[in-house]
Amino acid sequence: MATAEPYDIIIVGSGAGGGMSAYHLTKSGLKVLMLEAGRNYDPTTETPMYNIPAQAPLRGASTPDKPFGFYDATVDGGWEVPNEPYTVAEGSEPFTWWRPRMLGGRTNHWGRISLRFGPLDFKPRSRDGLGHDWPITYDDLAPWYDKTEKLIGVTGAAPPRGLTNTPDSPPGCLMEAPPPRGFELFYARAFEAMGIPVVPMHGAVVTQKMAGRNTCVFATPCGRGCSIGANFQSTTVLLPPAMATRNLTIVTNALVYQVDLDKAGKAKGVSYVDRVTGEHHSVTAKAVVLAAGSGETARILLNSKSSAFPDGLCNTHGMVGRYLMDSVGLNVTGQFPLLEGLPPTNDDGMSVEHTYVPWWGYDKHKELGFPRGYHVEIGGGRSMPSMGLGRLVADDETSVGDDLRAKLRQRYGSIISFNGRGEMIPNDDCYCELDPTAKDKWGIPVLRFHWKWGDHETRQAAHMVTTFLEVIDRLGGKPIGPVERDGRKAISKGGEMIHEVGTVRMGASDADSVVNQYGQTWAVPNLFVTDGAVLVSSPDKNPTLSILALAWRSSDHLATLAKQGAL
Amino acid sequence: MSDAPQPYVRKIDRRTALTWIGVVGAATAVGAGVVVYGPKMGGQPEAKGYGTDPKLVTPDKAPWPRLLSDEELQAAAILADFILPASGAAPAASALGIPDFIDEWVSAPYPDQLKDRPTIRDGLKALAKKSVAERPAAMTALQTSGDAFFKRFRALTIGAYYTTEEGFKDIGFIGNVAREADEGPSPEVKTALEAALKTLGL
Repeated sequence: MATAEPYDIIIVGSGAGGGMSAYHLTKSGLKVLMLEAGRNYDPTTETPMYNIPAQAPLRGASTPDKPFGFYDATVDGGWEVPNEPYTVAEGSEPFTWWRPRMLGGRTNHWGRISLRFGPLDFKPRSRDGLGHDWPITYDDLAPWYDKTEKLIGVTGAAPPRGLTNTPDSPPGCLMEAPPPRGFELFYARAFEAMGIPVVPMHGAVVTQKMAGRNTCVFATPCGRGCSIGANFQSTTVLLPPAMATRNLTIVTNALVYQVDLDKAGKAKGVSYVDRVTGEHHSVTAKAVVLAAGSGETARILLNSKSSAFPDGLCNTHGMVGRYLMDSVGLNVTGQFPLLEGLPPTNDDGMSVEHTYVPWWGYDKHKELGFPRGYHVEIGGGRSMPSMGLGRLVADDETSVGDDLRAKLRQRYGSIISFNGRGEMIPNDDCYCELDPTAKDKWGIPVLRFHWKWGDHETRQAAHMVTTFLEVIDRLGGKPIGPVERDGRKAISKGGEMIHEVGTVRMGASDADSVVNQYGQTWAVPNLFVTDGAVLVSSPDKNPTLSILALAWRSSDHLATLAKQGAL
Repeated sequence: MSDAPQPYVRKIDRRTALTWIGVVGAATAVGAGVVVYGPKMGGQPEAKGYGTDPKLVTPDKAPWPRLLSDEELQAAAILADFILPASGAAPAASALGIPDFIDEWVSAPYPDQLKDRPTIRDGLKALAKKSVAERPAAMTALQTSGDAFFKRFRALTIGAYYTTEEGFKDIGFIGNVAREADEGPSPEVKTALEAALKTLGL
């Protein structure tokens, strides 16, 4: 029974932040109770490796039950979670919130793109007066990036390029990536002709032997999870060694809604509702770590009301839920006659892109008219056919029979999809708060989101469209479907890139932040946050690697305090 | 296509079919594996989907009842085989159970499929009304007139056909196999790419 044990630390959440916290704290000899809102999940037995669409309902097509397709690893989640609503404020631009309910959280299905933030990303305000500076520098986090890459396994080793704000990992951190695939060799020439470098992607996929893991078999999509541990998931990489210390207890279906304080104002534990039985429980420990995901972590704090914190824990200055950010997202897809009719080749690769395009315009922002950049993630090749294959034949083509078969064979593998992922500058119109009336199934107030893209972001999105159209044109291709050039219309919805971060940001003082550089809340010294909520900026680089590195750094500080008896 | 095509036979066992329909009496067995359905009653609530936590490694068959009448199903078979008849080693669409898939798709309780349902069913009903002699001309008319039903039906047929092992073979998908290493594209592919890039001045 979880409540009978004397725990040193309670960790709320089991994804990147929670998993890394559990890994380090249990290895440091601390007794840890991990509470996960979703069900237990075992990638070794539950991953549909090698299944083909024909074995799935609707050939695996996306549905509201499985928004990323039937075989996506996500359990009991998606844009909506049964019994757990959220709202979007009237007058707000759309916001959408992806949540899973499973052990390991989003690390089970994520894209495995593992890019370090660069030196400029930590000091945006100093650079151009926009956004806010972090209380740390790249150099503070660099050793933790090194450790994290070595622990989780990241490919993309390459000779150092020294590209602006695009850190090269030191030797020994990264593994070799397989060579670029045909379509990657193809698109690279267009970018290079435009003076834009194409470099190896950093992907959390293992190509060299690691203890307890298998190497990549270059087949079956990572988004399904990986039964052989060849990519990074909290459930295959962080939780097994944490369990092996015998210092970790995991309770699943435990939806935490409140941090409980003692009379002295320190955290004494948390309260949760069992999602299956509906029973409420309170558990205690010497310290609490919140890593429930940026939205859920903010919600727990806002729902933890007391006489000392009538507006929610750590929210005296109204900072909890503020500075919510996502990545700018935009896609243009093209069809390329010159890629038609190539000999059959196996393009499965690592699933994660083998190469990508880092942002190239750091010295051009003045002329570009928008202050921050984006990188480009590019998909293509002869991937396993899906229900979308019909788009190879335009509606105005009347083809059937042998002519249709021949056209499909000819065009298969000739589509390339260009996806911009850009930095968003935090603004006052993007935040979450408690909805004044809406509650979840258990009567707990839910989040209400407010969202508005700034001109910085919409101009950046418009630039993505222009760039991708030029690349498609240079490669002799044509965009598929209508292309929206208006950045405000073409930009992704808030939350849609599933990089929502920044609701409990770190800072140099309690006047403008909720936690310090170690994720320790200013208001409650034995309460920590180790998920994406602490991010001060949302650079174009996907956040997971940075969440892992920050969580490790913060957990190390917490372990030191615990050993000193300073909790 | 023969003038008197064999009727399409569902690629499912009869028991599954009876489970879908829910009431044994609503279906009439007319032969081995052949089940003729009555039309769905109006005003019924939509069936449930497969939920947010379906079995992924050994998926269950889609749980919702199938809606197509036998006439619609036969029309789906004829049209699917008009779009993708057998060709060399590649089987016809009906041989891969594509009509069953169309039924599964249009019967599904999800928004994309609900949107397709009237388009596809109305089109199939209209085609079913044609005599055997009229069908070839009717299908050619659909094909050449820019008909919305035909375009959607063709896209679904293509998707359903090429997401099978037989479809992989026909289109030249050779992945989904474990490999020790990924050596990258073959010399033939690289040569072809270089030639293509040269024409672009890249």
